[in-house]
Amino acid sequence: MTDTVSNATTGMRTSQRMLAHAWAFKEMKFALGVFLFLIVLAAVGPVIIPASAIDMNVGLRFLPPIFFEGGQWPHIFGTDQLGRDLFLRSLIGLRNALMLSVVAVICMFVLGCGLGIYAGYKGGWIDTVIMRITDVQMSIPVIILAITVLGMSRPTPFSIIMVLVIASWPVYARVARSVALAEKEKEHIRAARIIGAGDLRIMLRHMAPQILPPIAFVAVLDIARMMIFEAIFGFIGIGIQPPTPTFGTIISSGTQYLLNSWWITVAPGVLLAVTLTSLNLVGGVLERSRNHVLQGGR
Amino acid sequence: MTTRDVLQVSGLSIRNANLPKAAPVLQDVSFSAAPKSVVGIIGESGAGKTVLAKALVNWVASPLEISSGQLFFEGVDLLKQPAERFNAMRGREISYIGADPTSALDPTVPVGSQIVKKLVTVKPTLSKREAKEFVIETFQAVRIPSASKRFNDYPFQFSGGMMQRALIVDALVTNPKLLIADNITQPLDVTVAAQILRLLRQLQQDFETAIVFVTASLGTAVDIADKVLVMKEGRVVESGGTSGLLANPQDDYTKQLIHQVPDIWGAEPFHSEQIDEHPILSIRDVSKTYQLADPDVVFGKQAVQAVRGVSFDVRRGENFGVIGESGCGKSTLSRLLSALESPDTGEVLFNGTSLSSMSSKQLLNWRQKMQLILQDPYNSIPSYMTIGDIIAEPLRIHNLEKGNALWTRVKAVMTEVGLNLDLIHDLPAGLSAGQRQRVSIARALVLEPEVLILDETLSALDQVEQSKLLALFADINRRRSITCIYISHDLAMVRRICDRIGVMYLGKVVELADNESLFSKAGHPYTRALLSAVPVLEEKPFEESVYLLDGEPPDPINIPAGCSFRTRCPFAIDQCAQEEPNLEVYEEKGSAAACYVGYAKLP
Repeated sequence: MTDTVSNATTGMRTSQRMLAHAWAFKEMKFALGVFLFLIVLAAVGPVIIPASAIDMNVGLRFLPPIFFEGGQWPHIFGTDQLGRDLFLRSLIGLRNALMLSVVAVICMFVLGCGLGIYAGYKGGWIDTVIMRITDVQMSIPVIILAITVLGMSRPTPFSIIMVLVIASWPVYARVARSVALAEKEKEHIRAARIIGAGDLRIMLRHMAPQILPPIAFVAVLDIARMMIFEAIFGFIGIGIQPPTPTFGTIISSGTQYLLNSWWITVAPGVLLAVTLTSLNLVGGVLERSRNHVLQGGR
Repeated sequence: MTTRDVLQVSGLSIRNANLPKAAPVLQDVSFSAAPKSVVGIIGESGAGKTVLAKALVNWVASPLEISSGQLFFEGVDLLKQPAERFNAMRGREISYIGADPTSALDPTVPVGSQIVKKLVTVKPTLSKREAKEFVIETFQAVRIPSASKRFNDYPFQFSGGMMQRALIVDALVTNPKLLIADNITQPLDVTVAAQILRLLRQLQQDFETAIVFVTASLGTAVDIADKVLVMKEGRVVESGGTSGLLANPQDDYTKQLIHQVPDIWGAEPFHSEQIDEHPILSIRDVSKTYQLADPDVVFGKQAVQAVRGVSFDVRRGENFGVIGESGCGKSTLSRLLSALESPDTGEVLFNGTSLSSMSSKQLLNWRQKMQLILQDPYNSIPSYMTIGDIIAEPLRIHNLEKGNALWTRVKAVMTEVGLNLDLIHDLPAGLSAGQRQRVSIARALVLEPEVLILDETLSALDQVEQSKLLALFADINRRRSITCIYISHDLAMVRRICDRIGVMYLGKVVELADNESLFSKAGHPYTRALLSAVPVLEEKPFEESVYLLDGEPPDPINIPAGCSFRTRCPFAIDQCAQEEPNLEVYEEKGSAAACYVGYAKLP
């Protein structure tokens, strides 16, 4: 009895309404379906497809995709200049890109919103300092930061995530702060202070559940943005290093053979485009639903 | 029903097109209004009053639709006329004033220009200058001070009462034959509402307008109307001349409404049983000033003196009331008492210990003993926590109970405040305002506080809920010896439940008296003005014509020197302008008022 009470805590009314509203869109169901299919594919594809993404096989180089003349099973997307299976390489690239960008978005969300709520709630010099740091951070372009940090040492997944987080948390901090400023004047925050709640409790238990869900909805769009950055890093050679395949490295190596073996560039490009489109569709619908619900719709 | 009636409504029914099977919103409403008469329409919220008022100006929006009935205006059935014809009468022949003055005016255009624009549209022969002069004259007629200056002010520079006056000008400027006043006094303070009513009565004589006056307060309706319609669930349950209806109500619902109007002077003054002479809470010369940015000076600051030198004691076990109108500093006082803010000067002593000398740990412990319940039932409890968790949170914060004992205590307090135990796992989303306030009360009571401050806790509730909660407080008071401080603008409530009362005006306590003396004697002219303005059905000891004030409280940024009330006081003498009066005891029970004129010399 007591357990059910303490566990049944934070059912979020607003976010539930947003999800219900979003689910009513056809493109939401479609895009989410595609996205989940891609995730499953990225997870199980490398296990079940009888080919290797790393072992070279010079005899099978430049095989076109299976739908074209000369294509060969199991190389659905064909092979690259070293005879490696492109479908498999793209799937592994997708897996890495997804993992990197999801982790990065979670980190920047937690860091940015945490600092933003803290700044907005505390106000005064703490607010000033945090907000000036965001100003400085936002004046440095991501690519410059990435080349400086990743170019000086061997890029690892950890350092790539670091760069993405450092470049993008200020946006979250800004938004969270502005909502926190409005939120802290509300009556239920006063009520919490009256019953003796401390600052930490107020921020975590009383402000965060009101502030975070709408921001989280928009954060979905940022996963797509981070995937693009990851691909750019790979393309200019500061992403995850070979032999691990990434979208960026596959595309950039394919550019040398673009005239005769165009599929080396196009195959991962198509996969990336499909992923981004589905993600952006999901994010776009969520954002629309968020605006709809926040403006009083049901 | 003669043809001379300005308005004659017969058999008007309105239904919701989306819910064809549900009961109609309005069912067979018939009444008529003679020229120069005032028809009061009264009923609880949801009775269909506003739908009726809006139907009279052809403002029936989808999904509502008129299903049957006739609406004669000067002998012509408006519902049979083309919509353009009906719409053209709006603002010319028929005017409408709504409850919310702030949203009725365009915030980006000066008030005067908006009214001139309307006037020029209606009477194209008028030149702009003539129109402006006419509007300024009408501003003066409704007692907007320095009318020609106010003409160019924007809506945000007007107070609620001023804006309502401007809207009255807006409505009357075309000299309509019918004015529909929909709940116009509802958002206003009692003295301002009484002023508006007085004004309407005068204007009605000058302009010869028939008024349909919609209100939820029987006291207000009786005050102004010649004829009253009582509405319930879309039907007129009773109608008739005001005095006849009051003296001899036929319908049970009317009797109930009359019964619900609070008795102030007829009621027995409240006495708590166990009052300890020892003060549990002492307020010593407390002041609080807020610094606001001055819009006219770069980096300039303006000082808003919200609370100015307030001192009083609250004895253990008594119910203390603080009353005053909006902006008098009573909410700031509640924040100071509950240590959400600290005073600039002076101190608040709890059992002899100053709050400002407490360490944060002591302050946290003290919070168990002193709880504040807030006004807004919708925003003061978090919407994403279950009711059980909301009530349990204080116990968790103070580490008082764990596990089963915690839930036993939560359930006990829920039962005590009358919340169904089935609600414990529910979110507050579906709760009514009254139930929400019960959750707030339970959250405060679960800590077993010694002092409870109720900051307008009941003012958002309807009459029935209010009486239930007052009974609850009386009950709680008997069972636990809690000291309660009621902060309110509602004189009737304070009369029912407080032992002693402080009256605040512009951040100062101007009168501090026991219940009996305050309501029967009242040593301060402001208290008398408040008492004269309450809408009740009984005889008041203080005549509105003698005591009701003109104007509104001055801006707390520019408080007048000397007695802050002197600018509105009908009895002010020279001394009042020179220095501020202190509280002087005026009768043997120790009641005190801050007035130079003195209790003996007031009429």
